[in-house]
Amino acid sequence: MWYHKPVVNKELLQSLPNLRIVASSGVGIDHLDLNLLSSFGVKVSNTPFVVSTDTADLGMALMLASSRRLVEGYEMAVSPDTEYFPADWLGTEVSGATLGIVGMGTIGYKVAERAKAFEMKILYHNRSQRKKEEESAVGAVYCKKIDDLLQQSDFVLLAVNLTPQTHKLIGKRELELMKPTATLINISRGLIVDQDALVEALQNKVIKAAALDVTYPEPLPRDHPLLKLKNVIITPHIGSATKKTRRIMMEEMIESIQAGLAGLPIPHEVL
Amino acid sequence: LSKKVQAIYLWWHKPVIDQELLQSLPNLKVIANSGVGMDHLDLKLVASFGVKVANAPRAVSSSTADAGMALLLASARRLVEVHHIAISSSMDYCEADILGVKVSGATLGIIGMGRIGYKIALRAKAFEMKILYHNRTRRKAQEEQAVGATYCEKIDSLLQQADFVMVVVSLTPQTCNLIGKRELELMKPTATLINISRGAVVDQEALVMALQTGVIGAAAMDVTYPEPLPRDHLLLKLKNVIITPHLGIKTDKATYMITEEAVENILAALNGLPMPSEVLPS
Repeated sequence: MWYHKPVVNKELLQSLPNLRIVASSGVGIDHLDLNLLSSFGVKVSNTPFVVSTDTADLGMALMLASSRRLVEGYEMAVSPDTEYFPADWLGTEVSGATLGIVGMGTIGYKVAERAKAFEMKILYHNRSQRKKEEESAVGAVYCKKIDDLLQQSDFVLLAVNLTPQTHKLIGKRELELMKPTATLINISRGLIVDQDALVEALQNKVIKAAALDVTYPEPLPRDHPLLKLKNVIITPHIGSATKKTRRIMMEEMIESIQAGLAGLPIPHEVL
Repeated sequence: LSKKVQAIYLWWHKPVIDQELLQSLPNLKVIANSGVGMDHLDLKLVASFGVKVANAPRAVSSSTADAGMALLLASARRLVEVHHIAISSSMDYCEADILGVKVSGATLGIIGMGRIGYKIALRAKAFEMKILYHNRTRRKAQEEQAVGATYCEKIDSLLQQADFVMVVVSLTPQTCNLIGKRELELMKPTATLINISRGAVVDQEALVMALQTGVIGAAAMDVTYPEPLPRDHLLLKLKNVIITPHLGIKTDKATYMITEEAVENILAALNGLPMPSEVLPS
């Protein structure tokens, strides 16, 4: 299964009596009804760890591109109307700024490792606190309350999975707690953010900018306001989109399928 | 008025410091440059008028290193291309058009391991990149170990192994056209050239040729020669090229720090004290 296709619903499952396993690409499984699949005796697998580094890399790429106004800068550099580069055109410094990571799982932690090398101050919010050694290794400070993280961060990066608890985790209230100079970066799922509230916050300068690899839906309707805002970078869900990683994902999916069909223990089974 | 001028703070190469200007300012004592590049100044000429020169090396390193990493990541993950796909009015795209290159674990070759080059190495290490470097002189063993960098005495060796070649040298007669046809041909056909030094360090015509014929994979440049390029220049039209408008130090923080550094140097010079970042003609 790539990109959530085909849609796995009751109708499909009833029409495939011999279906043994659904191997899903990537780590997110929010698009699958696990209870439904289990009731049909169908096993599920994903590709959890292989996507982490590329997704963390992309989170950093989005943060750097947004803060340094890379897309705008590129357009200025190649525009037929450009005669000179204005001296007062400035971006925001990443080095030494404060990064708040919401969701410190495998991906969140890899982002922290990278951000530390940029001398960033790192705050994180997570269901549970990480071990002291893990925190010290990246210089990360735990924020039990998400509010504390939101109020202090120059960059807020979302790296949680989508569950009923994280649905619309970032809404009007959370955006208003953020600094007006802050940037929101989302590499999780579109539904983690209340998109309408985000549009309003960006239009009214409640926050400064956003960089999103994920939206809801994907892709957005072509007339959506997010596509037109100057302070927004959108990428088409490319978190794991590198040749190397896609190849490994495919290999893992095939491994899981072969194991499932042979009745053997399934690597990366999702229970 | 011209007799009152004792210091010049040079912002973005303006005003042009030539014989005429220097002759018209008899009491000029110091020129503080915003930034670290000195290639636009005739240091011998300025010294002949008894005027001191300072640059701002400390203030620029982090923001320029950040810009280098930004370009590397944007190029590898095709950020500009895919952003345009994401917002375009058409919803059709081919999966192959959005696949990028894995940065973590790839090999980065840094040409010029000064302050900025070293900060790039520190950042790249966190991406688990393998780091090679070429420099006029070799760094100390602990400095190499801290970033896991391997010295390449010959630039050829670096060019042949790197997936990403990052040019971070200052522009001097020795580094003009440092990267030409020969160097580009030594690079891997899948490699990316990233230039955050000066446009003239790269032979631009050779670069265009190399990009068009697949001799190298892509390029990302914050600097060109001239800046901006003529609007019909081929580099502006190639799909596998990202150009940014010399934004290496253009952040609020960096410009503030550069100005602070300049003021420090100016005050020191005017008070006859040692200047923190004086630049002497070599």
